[in-house]
Amino acid sequence: MAFIKQKTQQSINEDERSAPRDFDGLCLELNHDDAQVRRWAIRDLATYTQASSTLAARLKIEDNSSVRTAILDALAKFSDDISVSALVDCLRSDEASLRNEAIEVLKSEPEQVAPIIENLLNDSDSDVRIFAVNILESLQHQNVEKWLISVINNDSHINVCATAVDLLSEVGTENAVNALENLKCRFADEPYICFTVDLALQRIRQGDH
Amino acid sequence: MSNTTISDDDFLKFKEFFYRKTGIQFENSKRYFVDKRLIERIEETDSKTFRSYFVKLRFDNSGDELQKLVNLMTVNETYFFREEYQFKCLVNSILPDITRRKKDDSPLRIWSVPSSSGEEAYSIAIYLLEHWKDIDSWDIEIISSDIDTQIISQAQKGHYSARSVQNLPAKTLSKYFTYTNGGHQICADLREAVEFTRVNIMSPAEVRSYRNFDVIFCRNLLIYFDDISRRQAAEMFFDAMKSGGFMCLGHSESMSRISSLFRVIKFPEAIVYQKPLEGR
Amino acid sequence: MKNILVIDDAATVRLYHCNILISAGYHTDEAINGIEALEKALTHHFDLYIVDINMPKMDGYEFLKELRSKDIPQAPAIMVSTESAKNDEMLAYNAGANLYLVKPVKPDELLSFTRILLGEGI
Repeated sequence: MAFIKQKTQQSINEDERSAPRDFDGLCLELNHDDAQVRRWAIRDLATYTQASSTLAARLKIEDNSSVRTAILDALAKFSDDISVSALVDCLRSDEASLRNEAIEVLKSEPEQVAPIIENLLNDSDSDVRIFAVNILESLQHQNVEKWLISVINNDSHINVCATAVDLLSEVGTENAVNALENLKCRFADEPYICFTVDLALQRIRQGDH
Repeated sequence: MSNTTISDDDFLKFKEFFYRKTGIQFENSKRYFVDKRLIERIEETDSKTFRSYFVKLRFDNSGDELQKLVNLMTVNETYFFREEYQFKCLVNSILPDITRRKKDDSPLRIWSVPSSSGEEAYSIAIYLLEHWKDIDSWDIEIISSDIDTQIISQAQKGHYSARSVQNLPAKTLSKYFTYTNGGHQICADLREAVEFTRVNIMSPAEVRSYRNFDVIFCRNLLIYFDDISRRQAAEMFFDAMKSGGFMCLGHSESMSRISSLFRVIKFPEAIVYQKPLEGR
Repeated sequence: MKNILVIDDAATVRLYHCNILISAGYHTDEAINGIEALEKALTHHFDLYIVDINMPKMDGYEFLKELRSKDIPQAPAIMVSTESAKNDEMLAYNAGANLYLVKPVKPDELLSFTRILLGEGI
């Protein structure tokens, strides 16, 4: 029979041990040609709290998407100021995949994101404001509805408001009704806004019975 | 008697949420089935209305409530040759693709997680013996792991109920099993063919030595994890695979809810996920 | 009946686009991101794709690039985005889009371009 068994431990990739597994050794491995070796180095670096600035710097030049994913996950684990600001920088990237991956990671960091979310919601770039609303989707924070109401009351960009209404149709309460009705007046000739506001209002009213 | 009701809009809202979280889509014909289970959870959690239950569900950090719902909404049973189309895919498409690219004659490594009581790992071994024409040209390692030591020793014993083997052709059953003690005992050769190990796939230290797999089967497990654990598990599987290796998920599961690391590949028999080849 | 796949991570946007298309007699299916869209595209026949750009796991560009590289019957794609900045339009065409529209899309606009891309005249 062709089935064999060997101790699984024997098949550990030798590459992993090609440099010392201390902080300096691991940092060196961030420049290794093999993406898998870089991934392993990042996963081990994630246990060193001082690694966040090194990883944030690597993120700027790393072009392999699986390695970037590992860096984002490591930064999420540190969740210090350096990491959070590196993640926020990704929101401004020209690369859609990096932006979207950063949004996903930031969604999992409610405590770190809550203090900066208001800044993001007031960013000059409308796409960043949309991403900030996306992040609110899973931010378990008591102010989520208040922030969303403020967005639809004040933001001039139609897609930022539309994204906020989408979320209000899930989390909105009676408190959002006035703002939603005002928004519909503000964008009266935009069928999408009318559609999404009506849907949100219908859900809020039905939920309150 | 319950007087909780689920309105059309509640249903739609729940349907969207559940779809986003799990990838499971309910047809409207399933309405009665879904409502019944939702009402059961609403009452058991002492939520007064659908709305208050839904708020709890959305903001449940632990993911426990969602998991309870997933358990209720899906039926998880393990038996021989379950989702057989994936084993067909293994012998007709996956292994030929891998062996065509392979540059040495090192063993092909297959990992089946979770092992549960062993049906999947043994099914793979039987399927290879019965249906893979190149079986004699390659060495194959089948490793099957679970977090639960009790279920592992059950898997190692290899004694199964009639229900568990009911999908096996009679010829296959008589070839690899003998009827003893009111059940079907798998033969010693097959018990020898699979290595069962205990591992917690969420522990980086424990999975560190699991490497270089060509094929990983992880069916109907990740669906029970929360978003973050699911993502971590996918990362771990990615690192445990060779470049160009393939991963098979359960039929109602999709990488679209889990990770962007893998490429979607369609073979005639199934959709599978590939760790990109080096240089891509 | 022509079959259209609407790809967007926002449920409301999918519902809006699907409603418009269904009311004009088309059949629709939905996907929440590029990976799910690719899985559906590889296993079902579609006559047109309506693709959002920013989505988790796999964005609209990557979806179209992957789709265009697959050996399956190809169909036209309309890419929709929230902004016209950031080279979105150029990237959309490079990825294999047939048309680029800025959100929110008006119903008559969506329908007239759908008819053109499906070769049904205006």
